[in-house]
Amino acid sequence: MTRRLSRRGIAATALAVTAALGLTACGSSDGEGGTAAAGGEPVAGGTLKIAFWPDNPSFTCLDPFQTYWIEHRTVIRNVADSLTDQDPKTGEIKPWLAEKWEISPDGKEYTFHLRDGVTFSDGTPLDAAAVKANFDGAQAVVKETGGATYGASYILGLDHTEVVDPSTVKVVFSAPNSSFLQASSTTNLAIISPDSYKKTSKERCLGQYFGSGPFTLESYKPNELTTLKKRPGYAWGSALSENTGEAHLDSVEFSYVAEDSVRTGNLVSGAIDIAWPRNPFTVEDRELITKSNGVVESRPLPGVAAAFYPNTTAGRPLADLNIRKALYKAFDLETYAKTIYGADYPVVAGAFDSTTPFFAPQTDKLRHDVAGAGKLLDEAGWKLGEGGYRFKDGKKLTLVLPTTTQFGPGAELIQDQLKEAGIELKIEVVTGAELPAVLKNGNYDLTSSYFTRAEPGALQFILDPDYANSKALATNASSPETTAQIKKLFADARETTDDAQRESAYADLQSLLIDQGVVFPWFERVQFAGLSKSVHGFAFTSESFLKLNDIWKQ
Amino acid sequence: MALSVSTEPKNLQPTSAGPVDVGPPAAGPAAATSAGPGGLGTTGGTEAPGTSGLAAISAIPGEELVDDTEPGGRRAGLVASLRTLGSKPGFVLAVLFIVFVAVTAFAPGLFTSRGPFDTAPADRLVSPSFDHLFGTDEIGRDLWTRMLYGSALTIKAALIALAIAVIVGLALGVLSGFCGGFVDALLMRVVDVLLAIPALLMALAIVTALGFGTVPVAIAVGVGIMPGFARITRAEVLRIKTLPYVEASRAGGASWLRVLLTHVLPNSWGPVAVLAVLDTGVAIIYIASLSFLGFGAAPPAAEWGTLISAGRNYLVTAPWVSLLPGLFVAATVLSLNHISKTLQERGR
Repeated sequence: MTRRLSRRGIAATALAVTAALGLTACGSSDGEGGTAAAGGEPVAGGTLKIAFWPDNPSFTCLDPFQTYWIEHRTVIRNVADSLTDQDPKTGEIKPWLAEKWEISPDGKEYTFHLRDGVTFSDGTPLDAAAVKANFDGAQAVVKETGGATYGASYILGLDHTEVVDPSTVKVVFSAPNSSFLQASSTTNLAIISPDSYKKTSKERCLGQYFGSGPFTLESYKPNELTTLKKRPGYAWGSALSENTGEAHLDSVEFSYVAEDSVRTGNLVSGAIDIAWPRNPFTVEDRELITKSNGVVESRPLPGVAAAFYPNTTAGRPLADLNIRKALYKAFDLETYAKTIYGADYPVVAGAFDSTTPFFAPQTDKLRHDVAGAGKLLDEAGWKLGEGGYRFKDGKKLTLVLPTTTQFGPGAELIQDQLKEAGIELKIEVVTGAELPAVLKNGNYDLTSSYFTRAEPGALQFILDPDYANSKALATNASSPETTAQIKKLFADARETTDDAQRESAYADLQSLLIDQGVVFPWFERVQFAGLSKSVHGFAFTSESFLKLNDIWKQ
Repeated sequence: MALSVSTEPKNLQPTSAGPVDVGPPAAGPAAATSAGPGGLGTTGGTEAPGTSGLAAISAIPGEELVDDTEPGGRRAGLVASLRTLGSKPGFVLAVLFIVFVAVTAFAPGLFTSRGPFDTAPADRLVSPSFDHLFGTDEIGRDLWTRMLYGSALTIKAALIALAIAVIVGLALGVLSGFCGGFVDALLMRVVDVLLAIPALLMALAIVTALGFGTVPVAIAVGVGIMPGFARITRAEVLRIKTLPYVEASRAGGASWLRVLLTHVLPNSWGPVAVLAVLDTGVAIIYIASLSFLGFGAAPPAAEWGTLISAGRNYLVTAPWVSLLPGLFVAATVLSLNHISKTLQERGR
């Protein structure tokens, strides 16, 4: 009798929990990475199959510090832990491997107090020496690559690291770096075992390192398959995850599928559990997934929005600020977002995506206004002529856009929009290998780029000639005076510990970027994920990567 | 070839060539007696006035005989062939379709009032209807219109490719077959190497080196399919070189160049012509493949392959975007294959 009762009790509780969780799940986790779409008590075991888009063709790498490929940052997030974690909802920095930290008043010294009992998967304990080895190793990689490595922008101004005592480490900067605390939460500064830094940077790229995460890297076959195994005894997950202990899943397989339609097809047919596209799902694909009882999760990727950067060197049409201003009016970003990605897709509102901290929308300056564009162009001396295009001194108003077609579909819609204002957009298809040379030679007027990081400083990686991935793009994007202004605003925001000053510097920056025609926002980058109905506990990190701690399958 | 042509008139001329060749009663019996190269000596001379006045002016009657019987027989054969072919509905359909495609290639505006680059976000992915025969793509462009304008690019690319393949292939083949010896060995080893590389792979390599665009793709495909032409031409030249009428003309004092131009070349390009028609289909497929892979014309211009490729993401949800252009390409290539196969059968 008692047994029966208790059983009924359990069933009732389970039902209540299911209902409650079900309700929160129905609320959808759009825009909020933290909510877990749970549907009952987690079940342990199983292999989760995730399909990414293709591996990086030019730089196959799984090393935390060197990787920029966002799919691989997802892999790293689950293999290696960071000193801190960032709340996807508020952007706040929370403890993880570091229990607490202090920042010196001048903003140059960060002291981290490490958590006890954490070990890397090769058995070595996480201590101050291990953290020092990581930062020393990172500095070595920066030196080795001449500053071109992707992690470099995360540790700008890093001078040296000191071991205070076995569980306390001090990171010392030569100039204040206010974005470093956020940087310490990213995958790029994830902490790996000190022995890993005895390997070369190439070997680490191929996965020869040990992290302290809830999974261990079982194998990495570039562009084929990456497999993770659950790490037994894991017990130091960040408080932002519901499950801070061992992972529910036994193993995870990441495959690389080039075709979007095939990836979605795989999900719908049940061959995979999660489809993780780079370019947002089409409306049709989203409908297809929902129709097959799957769930579509989405969250804008924080950082630099997909945008065009102009070539303002003398002699190029975009050297004229009026033409750049007219260009903003010629773009119809709302129609673009609606047509290419669906009616409910967010419209880009500035140089950054909406989930970036300190985001300040510039919607009014980006409004579509063909007549206004025409007026500006008329004033600049470009008169309408043959074929509806504008001419000045017999020269057609032509903008060259070199593209690899891989990123960002629908450029032809932009082309037709510009045509309405009399601007010819010439899309030149080049290979990924040719693009850097095209940029270097300045044979372009617009080129697109983006970068993911939950900090506006991410834009330095594109626009600051000292740190930029493509120096040519950064130098050509604005006049020397404007570049100096941009650099100053970045420095103002970086070299302070005052949040109000950071906010005002970043607000000024976002406004300046549009006023001076430096960034032409194209579309908000939304990370979509298609889940099969058997996947529960899905969550985005603050950088819109996938966190596997809470996921279970049934 | 020469043999087959000269045997054909034997049974066809009494019925068809009679009315065409006005007058000479000798035509019938002449053709009947001129069965095989052996009968070329004098009987052909009597036929000459009936078919062409040129032979009478000819300085070397014996040599011109062959040529005269050939065109005469061919023309007669052609009329008969056309009649037989005209009674084959599949063939007629294929020809009509190819003619349609050819017309669209040179005047795409005849069949549509829309522009190929006009976007209409509101009409996104509309399924095929009377208004939009092929439906619309993901930014609302009319696919039928884009298909027609795509013909212009694709067919022109195919023609350029074919011209390169035929001219270069024929030249190499004739040179190789006619010169023999070291030149033959050298050229054919080069062709061997080219044949060892799959044509599409070679085209890919070439287009990567040349850069993107319709003309580079056409050149790449032309070079890719050229070896086949060289090989076939050489085989034909080798065969014809040994035929008695070539020997006869040599014996008659004709120079090698003359023999080459007036005897070997005209008689060796029959199979080459069939191969050309067949390879037009192959060229179209290769060009479509390359533009599918993104090597084709710069956007917004679209070749057939680009159109198929653009619909890839909508294969399940809006299949017409890829499928209809794909079917159009398939129909074109099948028609060309059917035409060339039929011609080949007639040639036997």
